[in-house]
Amino acid sequence: MELREFFHKDAIELELKSNDKDDLLKELIGLLKLDEKSEGILFKMLKRRENLGSTGIGRGIAIPHCRSLVVNRLRVAFARKSEGVDFKAIDDQPVHHFFLIVAPPLEVSNQYLPVLGKIAQFAKDPEVPKRLAVLRNRDEFLDLLEQKGV
Amino acid sequence: MHPQLEILLQIQDLKTQRRELAETERERQVEELEFHVNVEEAVQELDHKIAEMEAQLTPAIRNRYARIASGRGRAVVPVIQGICYGCFVSIPTALATDSARNDQIRHCDHCGRFLYVIG
Ligand SMILES: [Zn+2]
Repeated sequence: MELREFFHKDAIELELKSNDKDDLLKELIGLLKLDEKSEGILFKMLKRRENLGSTGIGRGIAIPHCRSLVVNRLRVAFARKSEGVDFKAIDDQPVHHFFLIVAPPLEVSNQYLPVLGKIAQFAKDPEVPKRLAVLRNRDEFLDLLEQKGV
Repeated sequence: MHPQLEILLQIQDLKTQRRELAETERERQVEELEFHVNVEEAVQELDHKIAEMEAQLTPAIRNRYARIASGRGRAVVPVIQGICYGCFVSIPTALATDSARNDQIRHCDHCGRFLYVIG
């Protein structure tokens, strides 16, 4: 299993516009191109997950994630906000890089936790935040995943 | 979407989250180790939220929901490509493809679960 297989190019955004946590979550969800009702339900679920503890794991990276009935297969997105946003991260630092992971309650191939684990592992690589910060296009993001062997 | 169906979906999503945290070892580990979640507190919080959402169901739907949930676990299931994901029996085409499909509360003829049709 390679992470890059899961990222659709339309779901990679290098210049997010939002300036606060709620708007940013909405913008991130928008990358999945769901209908409006589904987006609203997903937003509530992701908010509730954030209320249990921020998915901002430190060093400028957050991994909002949940399972929801509104998707019929595993969906992922990556987005960057160069200026950073207050995401109540574990280290209290602004977050610049966001990985969104949403899976249906039941998956035939059970990819949700392995994908979440791989992204968390990728995020811990000390070199990754600075590499993400200088990405110039979507292909460079996919190439970085490949270079890091995730 | 029918407003009660929207509530049912949210309850089911919350229950999924609760089950994974409370009963799935790997999920709990990931949330504890990677995201520093206090699982006990999180489960309590989710129980509270689930109860709050259940109180928003009309009595008739709440009764039916409680009956299915206690007997068959998941009370709300998706319909994907015409298949009920509760019992994996195919459902009538009209229900599976109707554009206003989620505007009404519907049940699977076979297992009785509430249905949410995904495109
Ligand atoms: Zn059924």
